[in-house]
Amino acid sequence: MGNLSWWKWLGVALIIYTFIAGMLVPLQHGIVEVTPRSARTGEQVILKLTGYNSHYDQGSDGLKAWLKLDNERALGASSIKVLSPRELSIGFNIPAYLPVDKRVQDFSLILDSQEDGTAILPTALLVTQDSIDPEKGISIWTNSPINDLKVSTGMTFPFRPIIYETIRNTYFHVALWLSMMILFIAAVVYSVRYVRNPLPIWDSKARAFTSVGLFFGILGLVTGMVWAKYTWGQAWSNDVKQITTAIALLVYLAYFILRSAFEDPEKKGRISAVYNIFAFALLIPLIYVIPRMVDSLHPGAGGNPAFGSEDLDNTMRMIFYPAIIGWALIGAWIANLQYRMDAVKEEWIERLD
Amino acid sequence: MQIFNEIAVLLGKELKLEWRNKYAISGILLYVGATIFIVYMAFVEMEPLTWIILFWIIMLFASINAIVKSFVQESKSRQLYYYTLVNPTALLTAKIIYNTLLLLLIGLLTWGGLSLFVGNAVVNLRPFLLAVGLGSLGFSVTFTFISAISAKTDNSASLMAILSFPLIIPILVTLVNLSKNAIEPLASEGVQSDINMLLAIDLIVVGMSLLLYPYLWRD
Repeated sequence: MGNLSWWKWLGVALIIYTFIAGMLVPLQHGIVEVTPRSARTGEQVILKLTGYNSHYDQGSDGLKAWLKLDNERALGASSIKVLSPRELSIGFNIPAYLPVDKRVQDFSLILDSQEDGTAILPTALLVTQDSIDPEKGISIWTNSPINDLKVSTGMTFPFRPIIYETIRNTYFHVALWLSMMILFIAAVVYSVRYVRNPLPIWDSKARAFTSVGLFFGILGLVTGMVWAKYTWGQAWSNDVKQITTAIALLVYLAYFILRSAFEDPEKKGRISAVYNIFAFALLIPLIYVIPRMVDSLHPGAGGNPAFGSEDLDNTMRMIFYPAIIGWALIGAWIANLQYRMDAVKEEWIERLD
Repeated sequence: MQIFNEIAVLLGKELKLEWRNKYAISGILLYVGATIFIVYMAFVEMEPLTWIILFWIIMLFASINAIVKSFVQESKSRQLYYYTLVNPTALLTAKIIYNTLLLLLIGLLTWGGLSLFVGNAVVNLRPFLLAVGLGSLGFSVTFTFISAISAKTDNSASLMAILSFPLIIPILVTLVNLSKNAIEPLASEGVQSDINMLLAIDLIVVGMSLLLYPYLWRD
């Protein structure tokens, strides 16, 4: 197995697993589009639906559809016609009165397929009622309860509107940022150790981990820009999180410029260790605190937690946590090579003297 | 408490020194005066927003100039003398307070100068003074710490600019937003969060610098 330590093999294995599983697992059955989006009471509306990862032509008798009003009331479909493996034509009879007070009520569309599983499109249809009479609406409501939904047994990724397949970027963009945090924590720990006990090895390690952390940070920013191009429309939109993370990376870049201004190794080590601690103390508010205070397109703005239970389900977790560990191990391997190189250089310089 | 005494004494020393030779302040006033005059020649009339932006640009460069001098001016032997006498935290605090006062003065003079030549665009006094105050504090804190670091190296001024650039961006952006309230007759609601953010950044930088300065000190 060569001279490589166990953790290096583990890192490589995890990254290969991340790439393969991350790219190959299919997305869950979802609804891409429904037309029309609005209807009036008392009419029969035919919705044309486009699905994703669907095989409607196989098992067309196992298809059921509902317009969901709330947790107790739903309207069943009157007809479902299969137009192609991805297109359906669903008919609903909207009653003359709705059991609500509002003029416009939104309904979610739930589609269940024995082949593919369940798909939901929230606020799929807006129904306008001209005359509001909730009691009459309650009396004429024919309820079809939603039950017997097919639970899919295969491994799939969640289907999210707008994001679609790019959800796979979670294993790259988010995992890279989190492993960058791990590497920067290592760097600041070594910096603190250097300040207390100025041995060159701590300075060397601090510098190595900072440089790999910076590299992963830049990769994280770039993967974020690629993601933004396809989901937000442009790679750089002066979003708060993009700006503050760029500033954090600039602060760490300045660390290297600072280092290059010194000749004396002890002075270099001490001043750059102090700056590293300062930079880490700035990193936390810049990346986590400030973006949450301001409205932003990035998930986790305006008061929400950055990565809630809504964004990640168990199938993704199975690949996400190993991905973070894999990236961190690869980063640690690169840093390991860097500080060992430094030690070898030092030895050579000493031997030449 | 002894540390407050030390801070007071050091602050007094800085102010007295400055009053006696007026080296730093005259240089900066010259810089500010020249810039305002050039601005006046270029734009005889200007939009309020341009006024604000120019005000902060002038403040930014004047601050960098002012604060570079604060550490560079001290000679090596005098630094050693301080090392034996005082608490490093006291020295840093004194320098920060002195720089803040200096920047406040520069800010007010810049405002006066701009008003003289190009007219006063400030409608709401309170947000403007708040912005100048918080800005002076923010710039002073950031630049003092960075200049403490870069004074140890040989090419101080450019290094200081490079090191301070990323830190200054959020402060400047927030200050400009805050100042926009000063030029419009109506105050907007986003003010409080901007102020909070400025204070937070200032606190973090002050905290870290106070914590870390003793380690820089030993030289």
